[in-house]
Amino acid sequence: MAAPVPPGAPRQQPPTGPPPNFQQNPNALADNFQNMNLNRPPSSNTRQPPFGQPPPFSSSAPASQRPGPFPPGAVPRPASGPPTPTLPPNMAPGRPSGAPFGQPPPFGSRPPPPGAFPSSMPPSAGSPPYGAPPPGARPSPVNMMPSGAPSGFISNGPPAPTFQGGQRFAPPGSSQQQAPMGAPPAMGPPGRAPPQAGAMHPFMGSPGAGASQVPPPSGMNQVAPTFGGPPQAMSGSVVSPYAPQMSSQPGVPPMPGSMPPPRMYGMPPPMQNQMTAISPVIGQTGGTQPGASKIDPNQIPRPIPSSSVILHDTRQGNQANPPPPATSDYIVRDTGNCSPRYMRCTINQIPCTADLLTTSGMQLALLVQPLALPHPSEEPIQIVDFGEGGPVRCSRCKGYINPFMKFIDQGRRFICNLCGFTDETPRDYHCNLGPDGRRRDADERPELCRGTVEFVATKEYMVREPMPAVYFFLIDVSMNAIQTGATAAACSSINQVIADLPEGPRTMVGIATFDSTIHFYNLKRVLQQPQMLIVPDVQDVYTPLQTDVIVPVSECRQHLELLLESIPTMFENTRTSESAFGAAIKAAFLAMKSTGGKLMVFQSVLPSIGLGALAAREAEGRSNISAGDKEAHKLLQPADKTLKDMAVEFAEYQVCVDVFITTKTYVDIASISVIPKVTGGQVYYYHPFSVVLDSVKLYNDLRWNVSRPQGFEAVMRVRCSQGIQVQEYHGNFCKRIPTDVDLPGIDCDKAIMVTLKHDDKLQDGAECAFQCALLYTTVYGERRIRVTTLSLPCTSNLSNLFRMADLDTQFVCFLKQAAREIPITPPLHVREQVTNFCINILLSYRKFCATVSSSGQLILPEALKLLPLYTLALIKSAGLRIEGKIDDRSFWINYVSSVSTPSAIPLVYPRMIAVHDLDTQEVNGSIVPAPLPLSSEHVSDEGIYLLENGQDCLIYVGNSVNPDILQQSLGVPSADQGGAEFNLQQYDNPLSKKLNEVINEIRRQRCSFLRLRLCRKGEQSGMAFFSYLIEDKVPTGGLSYVEFLVHIHRQIQMKMSS
Amino acid sequence: MSEMANTDPEGIDGVRMSWNSWPRTKVEASKCVIPLAACISPIRHHPDIQTLPYAPLRCKTCASPLNCFARVDFTAKIWICPFCFQRNHFPPHYGMISETNLPAELYPQFTTVQYTLPNPSINPQMGVDPNVPTALSPSPVFVFVLDTCMIEEEFDYVRSAMKRAIGLLPENALVGFVSFGTQAHVHELGFSDMSKVFVFRGTKEITKDQVMEQLGLTVPGRRGPGTSAAAAYQHKGMMPNGFPGSGVTRFLLPASDCEFTLNSLLDELQTDQWPVQPGTRASRCTGVALSVAAGLLGACLPGTGARIIALVGGPCTEGPGTIISKDLSDPVRSHKDLDKDAAPYFKKAVKFYDGLAKQLVSQGHVLDVFASALDQVGVAEMKVAVERTGGLAVLAESFGHSVFKDSFKRVFEDGEHSLGLCFNGTLEVNCSKDIKIQGIIGPCTSMEKKGPNVADTVIGEGNTSAWKMCGLDKSTCLTVFFDLSSSDRSNTPGTVNPQLYLQFLTSYQTPEGQTLLRVTTVTRRWVDSTVSSEELVQGFDQETAAVVMGRLASLKMEIEEGFDATRWLDRNLIRLCSKFGDYRKDDPSSFTLNPCFSLFPQFVFNLRRSQFVQVFNNSPDETAYFRMLLNKENITNAAVMLQPSLISYSFNSLPQPALLDVASIGADRILLLDSYFSVVIFHGMTIAQWRNMGYQNQAEHQAFAQLLQAPQDDAQMIIRERFPVPRLVVCDQHGSQARFLLAKLNPSATYNNAHEMAAGSDVIFTDDVSLQVFFEHLQRLAVQS
Repeated sequence: MAAPVPPGAPRQQPPTGPPPNFQQNPNALADNFQNMNLNRPPSSNTRQPPFGQPPPFSSSAPASQRPGPFPPGAVPRPASGPPTPTLPPNMAPGRPSGAPFGQPPPFGSRPPPPGAFPSSMPPSAGSPPYGAPPPGARPSPVNMMPSGAPSGFISNGPPAPTFQGGQRFAPPGSSQQQAPMGAPPAMGPPGRAPPQAGAMHPFMGSPGAGASQVPPPSGMNQVAPTFGGPPQAMSGSVVSPYAPQMSSQPGVPPMPGSMPPPRMYGMPPPMQNQMTAISPVIGQTGGTQPGASKIDPNQIPRPIPSSSVILHDTRQGNQANPPPPATSDYIVRDTGNCSPRYMRCTINQIPCTADLLTTSGMQLALLVQPLALPHPSEEPIQIVDFGEGGPVRCSRCKGYINPFMKFIDQGRRFICNLCGFTDETPRDYHCNLGPDGRRRDADERPELCRGTVEFVATKEYMVREPMPAVYFFLIDVSMNAIQTGATAAACSSINQVIADLPEGPRTMVGIATFDSTIHFYNLKRVLQQPQMLIVPDVQDVYTPLQTDVIVPVSECRQHLELLLESIPTMFENTRTSESAFGAAIKAAFLAMKSTGGKLMVFQSVLPSIGLGALAAREAEGRSNISAGDKEAHKLLQPADKTLKDMAVEFAEYQVCVDVFITTKTYVDIASISVIPKVTGGQVYYYHPFSVVLDSVKLYNDLRWNVSRPQGFEAVMRVRCSQGIQVQEYHGNFCKRIPTDVDLPGIDCDKAIMVTLKHDDKLQDGAECAFQCALLYTTVYGERRIRVTTLSLPCTSNLSNLFRMADLDTQFVCFLKQAAREIPITPPLHVREQVTNFCINILLSYRKFCATVSSSGQLILPEALKLLPLYTLALIKSAGLRIEGKIDDRSFWINYVSSVSTPSAIPLVYPRMIAVHDLDTQEVNGSIVPAPLPLSSEHVSDEGIYLLENGQDCLIYVGNSVNPDILQQSLGVPSADQGGAEFNLQQYDNPLSKKLNEVINEIRRQRCSFLRLRLCRKGEQSGMAFFSYLIEDKVPTGGLSYVEFLVHIHRQIQMKMSS
Repeated sequence: MSEMANTDPEGIDGVRMSWNSWPRTKVEASKCVIPLAACISPIRHHPDIQTLPYAPLRCKTCASPLNCFARVDFTAKIWICPFCFQRNHFPPHYGMISETNLPAELYPQFTTVQYTLPNPSINPQMGVDPNVPTALSPSPVFVFVLDTCMIEEEFDYVRSAMKRAIGLLPENALVGFVSFGTQAHVHELGFSDMSKVFVFRGTKEITKDQVMEQLGLTVPGRRGPGTSAAAAYQHKGMMPNGFPGSGVTRFLLPASDCEFTLNSLLDELQTDQWPVQPGTRASRCTGVALSVAAGLLGACLPGTGARIIALVGGPCTEGPGTIISKDLSDPVRSHKDLDKDAAPYFKKAVKFYDGLAKQLVSQGHVLDVFASALDQVGVAEMKVAVERTGGLAVLAESFGHSVFKDSFKRVFEDGEHSLGLCFNGTLEVNCSKDIKIQGIIGPCTSMEKKGPNVADTVIGEGNTSAWKMCGLDKSTCLTVFFDLSSSDRSNTPGTVNPQLYLQFLTSYQTPEGQTLLRVTTVTRRWVDSTVSSEELVQGFDQETAAVVMGRLASLKMEIEEGFDATRWLDRNLIRLCSKFGDYRKDDPSSFTLNPCFSLFPQFVFNLRRSQFVQVFNNSPDETAYFRMLLNKENITNAAVMLQPSLISYSFNSLPQPALLDVASIGADRILLLDSYFSVVIFHGMTIAQWRNMGYQNQAEHQAFAQLLQAPQDDAQMIIRERFPVPRLVVCDQHGSQARFLLAKLNPSATYNNAHEMAAGSDVIFTDDVSLQVFFEHLQRLAVQS
């Protein structure tokens, strides 16, 4: 660190711009989906704008939109704009111009304390912009609708960010003001600083001018443009993330009537009792009328994701702002709390007591995804270098400095928001406080104004030099793998992916193959050709070389290519059907032991020999299942402890294992998956493997695997404010001590669930903070600490809990817990637990918060109205399907254990869209058309439907589809043709183009190259498709959605009356 | 000595005995002090040996082949076996036999004949699977086992030596290659796509079955837990071609096919890549490498002649066969450590090599060790495996040294100087009734063939009348020890045959793949030493006796704890002198010794001073190496080891043998000392000065040049004939290298009596007794009553 910079000063943006562990390529994600069989439209080279319709100027702006990789010149990004030099006189006088870091002006900045800024306050008692129905109107049967009186609760900012711009700053009716905002270049808001003056923080309350900063009328002008006038727009090369909402909803007046459903779903307005009630007549004991028929299936709650991007400030008015749904498209501005991408809580207010939580029936847990992929338009996480002293921490709980640490005593001391201890401020970190009690430099220091920052780790945080990025590929070359083409596919994928590995001298690569023995390759450059080193002892393995099996990628590229090309032919005639998987990974581990790194295994058959060999227990299991054996679920448990013990050892030496299973048979994923699970890795499952269908996916998966943001040798700990403590971590990691989790590898797709428990009573009105610290090494060998802090208000009001419940997070918690139960509890039992969980929450709500309704109604809290649907979906999900293949279920369980919230929801509740009329469909600003309910009623024989869950993508072709459409979209003349092995191609017609566009967009959203399968009615594939339609009644006993609601209602009624 | 060298004491038979007349009884034999022993050179070349193109005719009871000592009744077509007196009828094809028409084996001068055997696998006891037709691979097999833990320079030497060797191999010779360092690498030479290596961990002992399984030499694709089904399949899979898998073509290729591969492999081969911590030895898994090589050969070619040629550059520090820890501060065991039982690895390592030896012997394969290092490499531990398999051992300081380079080349050379390396030898000994075989000292292994003529007491490889020699060459020599049965036969002297018979049957495979059986039948006279010792005395072979005593002393030093060889030799010598000397009791001056014994005390004197007895000047490796050669070489060579020969060169006289005494040193003489392991050319002071002044380059001093050249030529002649190539030391009087000569000389002049010596001679700084003092004591003790 340069000497002149004082310790603790915000770190200069490194020339690379983004945090270095992020890929340089702004289009990393999009590029990942390199389509070999998909002719991506040229526009897909650049990332699609995050919202439906590009604003007019975006078409002329071909450059990337990822915010991360802006060149250093873009540092003043946020200010930018056409040179509108006229600074309002009240702006930024005396602002030190010597802070050239790339910190953007914090948009609206931290809102002043309530009352100081009345005009910008969220709709409090005043006219709610989208007035709720009067209280009495709430329980209108069979209608979900917002209800609740406009109460005095103002603790939440306006939850609908889309409205905020207009709402907060424009008086009702002045919405026409928004229109010009959509055209930013013309809209030089007077308050905008010229690009050169990016260092200025025009809107920041400069300490001296705190009072004068409130500019009554012009303040609106100033603030609003920062939303509407996207900085990128000024540079002309970047699409504004904020424009779309303007353009997509031009002039949407904040009127109650016009509020589209998504708002309701997504953003509970500040109403106390928002709920959905469903027909009273269901399941009355009299049974005079079949209750189900009374429910209009079109009226029951279903997710209706917002089609447009949502803007979200993490805190507003010094209050935590409840996050938008995890599955929605949103852009976060970190104003103190971390982005919900990194950490979200199941309830956005913390119950003061354990009893209160128990009463609610809900879970209190955090879902942490510390390296989550940010939205391209979001500000990158800032890196703070405290120099040799390291980041400032509480001396008692070791919590990291964060915006909620309270500085007192002229800044000489600070109170830890986690443990309450009062610490001395380090001398060189001292700063005076402003009149508002905040440090004067709070807004310049990311660690004092951002919920997520990254600290440069000092020597103290290293037990050794940060490890290099080591990638070791282990390929199955047994007879089966060779013959199915899996080996060739793996080799070709690796060969292509080598180029995507992080550049740099410290990136190392190794390759080994295995069948009944393990073959390493000496890639040392002096050799004329690679040398094959065979480890034949698969019971007691070892590494054949200390050094030359893992070499810097720059030194062995030619050898690697040569080798990868020759492996499939070299083993062409192999007769070895055995596979020594366990021994092979152990041997590879031994080769990597000194550094750690990523081990990627391509496995095609059941490990049958050597260390950790497995038995084909599936056959036995099948008969057990059909015999109704109570122990049948044991097949979902690992066969023995060998692999688990190995995995723990791997984790200790920072080896992260990913397993790519390319098979047509049973491989016992339940046992194999232990290794990725403990080492922070991942299982990829290609079943039944087909070279034609899966090669591209394999390549794309592998590419994303190595190029996504990730870290190595990580340790994570979550700290909570006093009164709450971490109960348990759940995810893919290794745990040696109770407080920390060890993550040999962590990447942007992995989430960890942290369940919480009370150990004390919290104070109503106080805030409770959660801090997740992830110490990790970037792919470039830098040691970093990513600190994510979330501070939430505490409440002793039960209805607040329901109002503030985060459905997605709540459900995902619940999904993960169910997944953990499945291997140890009979499935029927799990289903019951799942259902009870849902029932208990609803019962609690019914009992304590919705007293006014008649007993005949099923009352659903607005925030959790989809809980029954998701619960039903979970009951019918792959993991709980008894008749499902053991491996499919194991894979599901494993996938769920680390899945992030945004990916978990579609896994359980897939998205189905109609594609036969894509070219004519009215799309509402989004590329992907609105999803259809998962019910066969919505599937017609004339249609083609696409159903995706983030893993697989099924294209269902009805029996009587217009052959023209079929030809145009899929390139097959009729539904009967085109074979099972089907590759989507782009044809020269609008429908096909649109279809490809949609699929690419889905792939981008899911960070996954979905595997396309063609399904036809009356075939196995068609059955598979219909098994995803969870609203349908399943002949084997699964309830339909309506029936399920009835069931739940009946249960609640029974419990109420008992 | 020199007069003996001119004759051929071994004759056509290659047999020399310590006693050429045998005492009748066990009691008498024990009084003779020197044991009854026969040193045989089983395949020594002799121009008169007839090779007969048929199988030998064997006695139907004792199975000894027909020989010239059999009594033949030509009319009845019957022969009487001299060993068991069984009457045997000649078979029909001997029908033409008559006094004038004898088969070669009945010619009296052909006491040794050779038969060609049609079927190569003659002996089911070799442990060879009868299913495996050994005839499939008549070509010799060489598996090179190369150490890679050495400095680049040494590695270059050894690589080029190997390349040269491969170039010298016959085209059909099968070659395999194993390299080792921290781990053992088996190179699959038959894999064409890339260089392919099977890596075996250095730390773990590995059985032959594991080697087979891990190299994939069982039936392909049928591995895993040995279910009966798999075994059955395996058995079936063996039937079609008789070979388990395709191991031969994968790992062992004809030299012509793999020469290029091997050469490029050697070019790319690096020294061991595993890091060596400072202050530690390289980790070297010699033991595993050798057992893997043995396993490979065992899997591919059991029963055929094959050699494992180990090129070792340092001590084994890893896994089985470890002789020393990796810590450099821990010195390699010395004789002192062995004596004090302070060599913690020694016994374990010996046990490992003992097991390896057993495996190799059962497969019929040979282990050769070429060790080149400044420090010890563990030859002492490997000795058992080398000796039991009849392998070669060469110990040198460096792979660049001529001792290694030239010796190594000789192994592969053809022609006159070739070693005549043969394989798969077995030796059987038949002997007359009452003669018991105690055992053999030499490069062979007991086959545990019990019989009535096997003695209860064992010397060396005993408890048998048949021995296996996996490798043998034309200089191989074995010492067979005999005992007499304790039954007293003097009661019935008339009925006893005055002659005793010994028959040595050696079958072996030539490098060309032929199988030969050599039958040597010798006869000696029984004498009744109680009547007269004259005949007994005349039959004493001093040279052989000295060698036998040397070999026996060495063996006892190795196997008997606390054995004091010097005292043992002294006591035996005194007993011998007491028995056979002429003297008056208690009058030393009256002592005289029969000429047949006169040289023996000097042999013993030199033996006592030799490296075989005085081991503390040498490392255990050197001692093991010396002893292996002592046991293996013929009597003449072995005698040179015990008592070096010294030739003096001077002006105006022919080169002449000189006394092995410090007095032989002269300023104007050149001495040539041949102590077998080294050949020393020693220039007297004056000669050295002249030479340094360059007189030999002046035309008028051509005689001087010739004088300088003569010992050089003679030394080269000795070196050429000898394997391993001896170290040539050229030194000057008072030079530091002169110690190689001085150590061998009788210290008749020491600093104690230096004043008595003539000018120009030399003294030896030692307290050792001189030969003269030794004799004085001997006389005194021999005459004591």
